[in-house]
Amino acid sequence: MLEIKPIFHALCRSKIGAILLLLQIAITTAIVSNAAFIIEDKVSYLSQETGYPEDEIFSFHVMLFGNDVESHQQFELDETMLRGLPNVIDAVYISNTPLSGSGSSSDFSINPAPEPGLSARTAYFFTDDHALNTLGLELASGRNFNESEVIVTDNNEQRANVTIITQTLADELFSDTDALGKTVYLGDIALKIVGIIKKAKGPWMKDSRPDNVALIPYINPNISGNFIVRTDVKQRAQLASTIEDEMLKSYDKRVIIRVRGLDEAKENYMAQDTLMMRMLIVLITILVLVTALGIFGLTLFNISKRTKQIGTRRALGARKSAIINYFLVENAMICTAGLILGVIAALLLGQLLMQHFSIAALPPSYIAGTALMVFVMSLLAVFGPAKRAANISPSIATRSI
Amino acid sequence: MLKMNNISKLYQTEMVQTHALRDFNLHVEEGEFIAVTGPSGSGKTTFLNIAGMLEPFSSGQYLLDGIDVGKLNDNQRADVRNQKIGFIFQGFNLIPDLNLYENIEVPLRYRGIKANERKRRIEQCLEQVGLASRAKHLPQQLSGGQQQRVAIARALAGKPRFLLADEPTGNLDSLMARQVMELLEQINRDGATIIMVTHDPELARRAPRNIQVVDGQLADFTLYQGAQTLKNVAGV
Repeated sequence: MLEIKPIFHALCRSKIGAILLLLQIAITTAIVSNAAFIIEDKVSYLSQETGYPEDEIFSFHVMLFGNDVESHQQFELDETMLRGLPNVIDAVYISNTPLSGSGSSSDFSINPAPEPGLSARTAYFFTDDHALNTLGLELASGRNFNESEVIVTDNNEQRANVTIITQTLADELFSDTDALGKTVYLGDIALKIVGIIKKAKGPWMKDSRPDNVALIPYINPNISGNFIVRTDVKQRAQLASTIEDEMLKSYDKRVIIRVRGLDEAKENYMAQDTLMMRMLIVLITILVLVTALGIFGLTLFNISKRTKQIGTRRALGARKSAIINYFLVENAMICTAGLILGVIAALLLGQLLMQHFSIAALPPSYIAGTALMVFVMSLLAVFGPAKRAANISPSIATRSI
Repeated sequence: MLKMNNISKLYQTEMVQTHALRDFNLHVEEGEFIAVTGPSGSGKTTFLNIAGMLEPFSSGQYLLDGIDVGKLNDNQRADVRNQKIGFIFQGFNLIPDLNLYENIEVPLRYRGIKANERKRRIEQCLEQVGLASRAKHLPQQLSGGQQQRVAIARALAGKPRFLLADEPTGNLDSLMARQVMELLEQINRDGATIIMVTHDPELARRAPRNIQVVDGQLADFTLYQGAQTLKNVAGV
């Protein structure tokens, strides 16, 4: 038997505790639904497929200070030395390390500059024909660079004339036709597309076009550059620890820094987002716990305040189940009102976040899921105290307390 | 109507055992009005609690309207309380957040009586206690005497055959106490069996049958002549 009407009237007559709880439920619903959506967004961002076997790759940065060698020649020698080390699958010079947050990008266009035409923001890497193998990238169509296509120079006038691009970039620039064999333009530099990579991320996973990537066979390193080495997962740590010695052994007037796995580079880049996600998880956990404790505490308080009333109800014929139902229904009514307010607040908060922080619109499923979770949590929180109330002896009714 | 045979109630703590009732025997016939007196701590309230099935007894047999109370489970005891017994408490025990109508409605809801029938009974009971115009008032808006009349209306609404009153006038001044007593007498005349625990010898004298509880046992009983509607008197 549900005493909805008298419970509602009773709540209306002593409403302060109920209103405070209602507000707490509303705030929890509004914050948790939005935070849960942001967390889910972060989780999918943090766990997105990069296209690289990150745990098999490590990279390092080299800065030359010796004037007795040409950097492009030295780096060629370094590549050969690295590829010859035991357990190295492949190694390559690259202008920037993917996923590291540092790199170069420009608009790739279907027409040469300044001619107007369809263009797409693209991250590009200067590297050579070992890049695909070293980075573990798979071609969807076309071929790798020929050795003859790789330009190794210190002359800025020399240009590469081919490129390998990702499928995403190909689809954006050539949505109707096959991109293979077509020409794209980096400014006024014409690059013929000789291969299309299935999937690869650029340096910035937060970029609006993180999957638009181009490899250009061009090595003109000036005094610094990056190397990427691919090895077996188990050998990576050992190899990385000796790489500085190996590099300095071949030429010692230089500094080797930032020796780190590709997964580590990605983690560093994503550290802020990971921290934010963890903080949000802690926040919503605390919020939900505080709300649950609030409900638990208020019910306990109500029970101690109404001990005689509960005993009287039992004396008048209430079964234990009727007492439990009373508190469950009372809580469900407060919770429902709080959830209605909370859903409205969640939508408003979602809109605010969308306007000020460029977060996607909060899907209704998150609000519904949070509301359901808060409702179930509130019933669970009230059940224990309600059961305790049901065990109050009816003989309390005749005692003076 | 009510038969208690050798009822004992033992309260036990780690340190001490207390016999609240010892071999308590009482037979009450339908329609009786009994006043229970006795010094403080003699076991009056324990007797009332056991008679009203508000607490279990340790040994003995208690038959209420032919039902062996000792064999009932918690839910069955709640149902019997609801259907057969009306309670009137010293402190009225009205629920402060509910108005008079809703207070009287409480036991009727537990019985599952439909809304129309509830309304009819509540209005009738409020009429009977002279508070028909105050149905929407909260208990705290009423005097003590009026609150006790509401409590009596609540006890009557379920049409119980058995009314248990625990110091029903204990919190009232003499004028209001007299009014409440007259109301109880009227209810008894209408057929309800009443057991009233009281400290007040004046009130006890108005009841046709007096019993005294001393040290958890029935000490004596006195039948006052001139009982209004006493149908049958059973000795113990």
